[in-house]
Amino acid sequence: MKSTLLTMTAGLCGIALVAGAALAGVNILTEEPIAEAQASARRQAIAEVLPQFDNNPADEAFEQDGLTLFPAKMSGTDVGMAVETYSDNGFSGRFTILAGFDTEGRLTGYRVLSHAETPGLGARMSDWFSESGTSHDLIGHTTPFGVRADGGDIDAITGATITSRAFMEALNKAAEACANSTTDR
Amino acid sequence: MNALRIIFDGIVKRNPTFVLILGMCPTLGTTSSAMTGMSMGLATLFVLMCSNMAISAIKNIVPDKVRIPVYIVVIASFVTILQMLMQAYVPALYASLGIFIPLIVVNCILLGRAEAFASKNTVFASLCDGLGVGVGFTLALTLLGAVRELLGTGAVFGLQLYSADFGALLFVLAPGAFIVLGLLIALYNRLYSHA
Repeated sequence: MKSTLLTMTAGLCGIALVAGAALAGVNILTEEPIAEAQASARRQAIAEVLPQFDNNPADEAFEQDGLTLFPAKMSGTDVGMAVETYSDNGFSGRFTILAGFDTEGRLTGYRVLSHAETPGLGARMSDWFSESGTSHDLIGHTTPFGVRADGGDIDAITGATITSRAFMEALNKAAEACANSTTDR
Repeated sequence: MNALRIIFDGIVKRNPTFVLILGMCPTLGTTSSAMTGMSMGLATLFVLMCSNMAISAIKNIVPDKVRIPVYIVVIASFVTILQMLMQAYVPALYASLGIFIPLIVVNCILLGRAEAFASKNTVFASLCDGLGVGVGFTLALTLLGAVRELLGTGAVFGLQLYSADFGALLFVLAPGAFIVLGLLIALYNRLYSHA
């Protein structure tokens, strides 16, 4: 089609209008499923790192030392706490972990929520620290968490000491926030 | 040109990865495993088919001088729709592909096919072209991902074929992507020139 000022303006405005309308429509349709998917992902992660509970920890979430804590209760009594913690000292910047602690401060489980660590090296943290029967199994471990290179008792991931160190930092931060939250309340 | 011919050409003769060497950013970035490579290919396939059809349908009412911005708006809209749908219904996959989904907008394959094919052909032919090129891209990414995953971790689609201890980590990392891509292009040229 010939390009005159009028056709060009009309063409661009028209396509923008149609595209905008289409996007608004899809947004309305997917808004609820997206929120639902995110909530269920969080619920699932919390259930994975904690022993059984019957409340909804996401509804009772609160902030402590800059971290978000999700208290889990079984018929009204505390059974543990899930902490969304992070470290900025990963090999490729920040990663976030959801860590679960029981009322005695023992780690009950963890899940890596987001990271950019090297596949095959740092990315192995997703299961490395919960491989049962190894000296890097952290389930049941209490603070302080430390890798052997730093005088701790935990084997770092082979070839990924920096990631392991950052992981310990995140866990220590979480354990501290968890302990502080019980004394503060 | 019949439909099958167009589809076949898209997969083989105009394969975006092995022949046109287009869209290298997602090709290298998302193929650390067969699964993510294939997912990226399918996402691109979806956008390519939609955008090819839409652009072909509006080709006669778009003024020549503003056609590129119009095409970009069309492509960006489909990418955003795809992004919202993935976020809603396959959140895990969306999380694993991350930034590469919005980056489909700037994938040269899409604008390339819009300009070179969809703006000159019928809606149906453009659909076939999108399907062919998209499938070609998907196959190439899946193959690249599978080879890298196998050499790097000893698995294909998560299925362990030999111990991960024998894997060469290099192939999962960025340099491995270039090496495997180069070898696959060489292999492709060898096979194709004899076909």
